[in-house]
Amino acid sequence: MSLAHLLLLSVAWPLCVAALVAGILAWRHGHALVEQRSSGRYVVPPGIAGDWPYRWRVALWVSAPLPALAVALALPESMLTMEWWLLGGDWRLDGTRRALLGFTALLWALAGGYAHGYLSGKARRARHGDPDAERDLQAFVLLWPLTLAGNLMLILAEDIASFYTGFAIMTFAAYGLVVNAGTREAYRGGRAYLIMAILGEGMILAGLLWAAASAETLTLTGLREGLAVSAQATIMATLLWLGFGVKAGVIGLHVWLPLAHPVAPTPASAVLSGAMIKAGLLGWWQTLPLGLTALAGLGTTIISLGLIAAFAAALYGVTQRHPKAVLAYSSVSQMGMMTALIGVGLLAPSLWPMLLPALVLFAVHHGLNKGALFLGVGITEHPPRMPGWLLWLLLALPALSLAGALASGLSAKWMLKAGLYDAGWNGLVLLLTLAAVGTSLLMARTLWCQAHAWQKARRQGVAAAPLSMTLAWASGALLAAAVPWWLMLPEAPVGAVQPSDLPPWGELAGLMWPALLGAVVTAALVVASHLEPRLHTRLSHAERLPPGDLWPLYVVATHSLMERVRRGVAQLGNAQEAVQGAAASWARQAMVGLTALQRWEAVLRRWAVALMVVSGGVLWLTLMR
Amino acid sequence: MSDNPGLLLATLATSLLVAPIIFLLPERAWLARTSLNLGAALLKLGLVALMVWGVARGDSYAFGFTVVEGVSFELRADPLGIMFAGLSSLLWLFTTLYAIGYLEGSDNRKRFFGFFSLCVASTLGIALAGNLFTFLLFYELLTLSTYPLVVHRGTPKALAAGATYLRYTVSGGVLLLIAVVALHVLAGEVSFGQREILAELGPEQHPWLIGIFVLLMLGLGVKAALVPLHGWLPQAMVAPAPVSALLHAVAVVKAGAFGIVRVVYDVYGIALSYELGLLTGLAIIASFTILYGSLRALAQVDIKRRLAFSTVSQVSYIMLGISLFGPMGTVAGLAHLLHQGLMKVTLFFCAGNYAEELGIHRIDELDGVGRRMPGTSLAFTFGALGMIGIPPLVGFLSKWYLGMGAIQAGMPWVIAVLVASSLLNAAYFLPILYRLWFKPGPLEGSGEWPHERRLGRLETSAWLLWPALGTAAFSLLAGIFAGLPLSPLSWASLIATQEYLP
Repeated sequence: MSLAHLLLLSVAWPLCVAALVAGILAWRHGHALVEQRSSGRYVVPPGIAGDWPYRWRVALWVSAPLPALAVALALPESMLTMEWWLLGGDWRLDGTRRALLGFTALLWALAGGYAHGYLSGKARRARHGDPDAERDLQAFVLLWPLTLAGNLMLILAEDIASFYTGFAIMTFAAYGLVVNAGTREAYRGGRAYLIMAILGEGMILAGLLWAAASAETLTLTGLREGLAVSAQATIMATLLWLGFGVKAGVIGLHVWLPLAHPVAPTPASAVLSGAMIKAGLLGWWQTLPLGLTALAGLGTTIISLGLIAAFAAALYGVTQRHPKAVLAYSSVSQMGMMTALIGVGLLAPSLWPMLLPALVLFAVHHGLNKGALFLGVGITEHPPRMPGWLLWLLLALPALSLAGALASGLSAKWMLKAGLYDAGWNGLVLLLTLAAVGTSLLMARTLWCQAHAWQKARRQGVAAAPLSMTLAWASGALLAAAVPWWLMLPEAPVGAVQPSDLPPWGELAGLMWPALLGAVVTAALVVASHLEPRLHTRLSHAERLPPGDLWPLYVVATHSLMERVRRGVAQLGNAQEAVQGAAASWARQAMVGLTALQRWEAVLRRWAVALMVVSGGVLWLTLMR
Repeated sequence: MSDNPGLLLATLATSLLVAPIIFLLPERAWLARTSLNLGAALLKLGLVALMVWGVARGDSYAFGFTVVEGVSFELRADPLGIMFAGLSSLLWLFTTLYAIGYLEGSDNRKRFFGFFSLCVASTLGIALAGNLFTFLLFYELLTLSTYPLVVHRGTPKALAAGATYLRYTVSGGVLLLIAVVALHVLAGEVSFGQREILAELGPEQHPWLIGIFVLLMLGLGVKAALVPLHGWLPQAMVAPAPVSALLHAVAVVKAGAFGIVRVVYDVYGIALSYELGLLTGLAIIASFTILYGSLRALAQVDIKRRLAFSTVSQVSYIMLGISLFGPMGTVAGLAHLLHQGLMKVTLFFCAGNYAEELGIHRIDELDGVGRRMPGTSLAFTFGALGMIGIPPLVGFLSKWYLGMGAIQAGMPWVIAVLVASSLLNAAYFLPILYRLWFKPGPLEGSGEWPHERRLGRLETSAWLLWPALGTAAFSLLAGIFAGLPLSPLSWASLIATQEYLP
């Protein structure tokens, strides 16, 4: 046992928690079945665990991401080799992985604590014998640590098999979290999520197999290096980019995000949009030959699509009514910016050493702030007992940070802007800045929707959020804003802007104006729609745009295609059965023929003597002649 | 010719001799029959494990005698054969356990278990056969001993399925016989592994070799269910669940696949097959079968029929692996021979459990079963996810090596086939899992089970539950611990190394 085995522990611990939950559920379920035998009634076993105190159970469950968090904060760089695992395990902790692991584990821990409060109502109903609540709760409690384990494994993995394993476990287990509410919309969102995810998995598998086999390697580093020198690099890189793009919300493949995020329980939306979406980004990092070679065509396409996503998602997102849908579109928009930066890395490999730390900061900052924003949605639906100004300050903090006006957002933006300016990418900087205006509009829209929800909740006198929810959300908002200063992030090359650097005063105006412009536009719109009723009607027309934009189109197209395929296959099947039937009937006819022969034989037997005499006679006559 | 024949013959005898004893026992002697069955299965597993250990150490086991001049009966335990023997004895144990629970209280158990033992004996014979003649003997014995199992229920449907089964397999057997005789005429006696005999034939014989290869493939392809020779398989699923499990996972379908492996690697030799251009043809047929089987499976509403078409598709992975020239393809094909067996036997056990416990035969009746039968449904989930190729289950390893082999053999299009088939697998398995776990069912007060019987204290009888959980656990552990020696993957790699580095 070495220190590196802690890496194994950080993944194994959530798995153990999941196994424990599964074991307990199985045990209680077994009891219920046995009792059903005697009483004739099946009663869903109440409560998640055995007889030990509730607090201990919750503490154990919430502790699932803590080893990973400790590893990210305290363990030195290390690597772990496991011969016995799959095709040979190789897990690492290096600069990029540490940053991602740290923020992912923290977000999961916060969201886990939040979930305890969020689900307390359901838990109470379950204890009083509501079977539906009990069922949802069981599924959530079981799948949460499982999804977490997948997420952590894919971050630590250096061998391709572990990476893909983690990715798959996370993807499939998260389906249960998405549909947890059990409503029609939840299943629709889950369906969109799963179908897109499977398509993505398919492309990832194709890309990984092809690239790994060409490079004859089992590690991600080997894969990247092999891809850099391969003749078919563009096709493989495209497959991988699209495959991971489903998770990362590349435009066109993003349709599941606005459908799945609003329907999932709020803590699950937070980790979906904050942590799991980054798995797509990490996938690009780990598999595309960034900084090794230039793929000009693909790079340009990626930049354009990323920018389109950044703008289009912002425009579509502001029309949404549900704050979680607005936030989902904001994720698409933000990921669009990151996508564009990945494209820059593919186009100009020399920029990558500068881009990587900036992107890591961007990703970590976005992940935590988006998580805090999602957690905030639940807070406004159940306003806690705290002063209004404090509540709105904490709600606005991640929003402003995401818009680039404060704290972590400000330093992320500064780092990127400085780096890109130095390299002469002024045009891109301008476009990204304009996209940030879209972000601030989205943030304003989110807060606006939340304000409505808050007012409604106060009017109806909804129960206040439990303490664990409030605490998790508030500490999330604060830690997110301060992320460059407490998390060890990969350092930029010497001389460039470091993640923890704050911009000089002179630059502030240049960095803040998009957020200010967004605020001004919002204020202008609000005032104008109050003064001019027709504008107000126009705007509320736009609010009817459904979340999931292109999804219905995809559904129709797929249905007509599948119908055709099904018909073709059915014809083939019919043809085969026809041949089989023909063979059988031919055999039957042959049998009939053979039976007829038997009758002929009977005739022959009866007339044998006569026949012999006749043939003898005929023979005699012929011979005599 | 003969060294260490004792162990070899004892292994074969465990199931071959058990059959007549079972036929002699009276129908009512449940305890004697059960203990005999289980004892024999355990003994055989132990003996095979001994041989696995021996072969891994480098021992050789062989037995043979001359039948007539130039034709000899030959048994031999080489790594390939012992791998198949290991699979069949492991799964036989599980299937026997399962069958005991499944047939509890039904008629004709004596007949069933007698032929069951014969069937396993012939599978073992196929695994240990040392030349094509011996292979053919056991191959035909398998055909005949399976027929009573397929028609066990005696319903008109079962009888019709049995007739179809015989029509296909006997015609296949005839073709195989012709091919074996032709090969004998051309090259004399060829023991498995004497690849140089055919390789040394001059180019003027090559058209003959190609013709014989095609005949062999037609003969073996019937059992291996290559499209368009697969027609019997979906119909044969009327058989009782343990029979279907055995048929699909280890006995009949695998016998065909294993025969093709033998012909390609040990009679023709992979180099000669490649030189004659036979592998590309096989790859195309296998790919077509994979896609066609998956598409047909998509349209089925009966659980067992869907599983049957899934077998058609999955078994062709083995053929696809073989047809990829290079060690990676070989590893893929051979490992999948084992992997598919583990996963498919699990799936059929589960389908049988649903039918026995709740009377469920159709997919739309599966709503909410996950709560009523969590153990079975968990096993089914593992089997299904493995079939789709989700790591860390074994199916992923097969797909990984197939992909590697495809690139190594210079056929990148195979990856497209793999991905398409994975997507189709997901399309026909995930809706089942969705119904099992996420749809509300009778326990939540919607609808009723078609025909519920309480077979055991827990979700169903322990005889039915534990084998399913056992094989599911194997298909998970064989994936997670694939790197350990003696895992299916390691064993397949061992064989592949021997094949390519003589």
